[in-house]
Amino acid sequence: MIKSNRHLIEIFFTKLVFNLRSEASETYLGYIWWVLEPVLYVAVLYLVFGTFLGFRGGGDFVVFLICGKIPFLWFSKSVTHSSNSIMAGRGLIDQVVIPKAFFPLLVVFRDLVKQFFVFFLMIVFLLLYGLEPSLNWFLLVFVFLTELLLIIAFSLLVAAIIPFLPDFKFIVATGMMLLMFSSGIFFSYKDVILEKHQSLFLMNPIANLIKNSRQVLMDNLPPDWLALASISFFSLVLIVVMLAIYRKADTTYAKLAVQ
Amino acid sequence: MSTDNIIELKNVGVTYRQRHSFFRHTSFEALHDVSFTVQKGETLGIIGLNGCGKSTLLKVLSSVYHPDQGEVIWHCKSVSLLSLGLGFDPQLSGRNNAVILGMFLGAEKHEVQKKLDEIVEFSGLGSFAVEPMKTYSSGMRARLGFSVAVKMQADLLLIDETLSVGDAQFKKKAEAAMLDKIRSNQSVVLVSHAMGQIRRLCNRVLWLDNGTTKMMDEPAVVIKEYENSLGLQK
Repeated sequence: MIKSNRHLIEIFFTKLVFNLRSEASETYLGYIWWVLEPVLYVAVLYLVFGTFLGFRGGGDFVVFLICGKIPFLWFSKSVTHSSNSIMAGRGLIDQVVIPKAFFPLLVVFRDLVKQFFVFFLMIVFLLLYGLEPSLNWFLLVFVFLTELLLIIAFSLLVAAIIPFLPDFKFIVATGMMLLMFSSGIFFSYKDVILEKHQSLFLMNPIANLIKNSRQVLMDNLPPDWLALASISFFSLVLIVVMLAIYRKADTTYAKLAVQ
Repeated sequence: MSTDNIIELKNVGVTYRQRHSFFRHTSFEALHDVSFTVQKGETLGIIGLNGCGKSTLLKVLSSVYHPDQGEVIWHCKSVSLLSLGLGFDPQLSGRNNAVILGMFLGAEKHEVQKKLDEIVEFSGLGSFAVEPMKTYSSGMRARLGFSVAVKMQADLLLIDETLSVGDAQFKKKAEAAMLDKIRSNQSVVLVSHAMGQIRRLCNRVLWLDNGTTKMMDEPAVVIKEYENSLGLQK
């Protein structure tokens, strides 16, 4: 029985550490996969789009890809992993009183810890690659924080839907595919999309965050503050709404988990 | 023994909704109009056929479910539910799982860690305790779960058939530990199909039949009626 919020947070972080450790112990390379996997993804994209298809994307294509693929991967993996989290936690749900938002949030934080290492390595790589850093690079923290809010919001949303509608996981998978092709990861939207449609393209928060990452790292400019504020506000509203829904439907989830 | 109530149920009903397709749902009433109280220091047995609502009732008592009808009033701070399903993470080791489960049963991390060796020792898992839970047999899982619950303090202990698993040796040890708890004024609700056990451990017995209370009385009286009814169905 959970006694207080502090107690719940203690459980949350204890489980987080245990899960990260056990996950790493399942493979031979363990923790190395946290950063090796995104490196492989970028390498595949470079091979297919950079070498085979000859895309350039403006500026250096390796840097261009990294600034696009890394933020996208963080979002898509976190949300996909969260989607089944409540059903995966059914053993606990069936046993103890626990706010159901615990499960998607645990997944989001697990992926966040991994992402710290990925971002760190990414910055180190960009510096070694010869990019000139500026003080504006520190503003990248705000781009990441905005993305974190967006990830929490969508993870809560997707995880809430799947226990009611298991079929939704196929939509999530296809949605991520659509998002990958439509967020300007391996093409520059400025070259491909008509100018009158560009603002519509940037309504996609992932495309917008990718654009901002590039703006900071490649052009050494501050991010688009209005865009970050809008995405954060939208995410916060969605988070508050979702937490209210989780609270209201608590017993419903407990029953769904055993059916 | 004091006669203070530790938990009160008033006309509790629980309904499950079963999904068949987009527009077709059926509902199933697992509990209907169940009322009783559990007193401090009492051991209440719950018996009945499979699917009569015993486990659902334990979930209501532990507030894993809120009842759809009626209400439950708790006069205690901590309740711990122990059932065979146990919320173990198959990837984590037995020790890590014991820490998490102990914390969920209301303890702080350092409190569980202090008792961890004692828990592992009681479970008799030995070197298996550091292996991932996915390598455990169902008996071993139940033993660990029982050990955590027995070593952690809870005002009300709810036990769902776990006493009847494990080998004869562990069963004996578990029953002795339960008896200790009961003697030390622990309140217990025990679900079991082992009538001998119910007779030995319980002060009162509730017989659930199709989600309703069929009978509630002294163990000898209820068990006799229950066994008679089974005899008639044969």
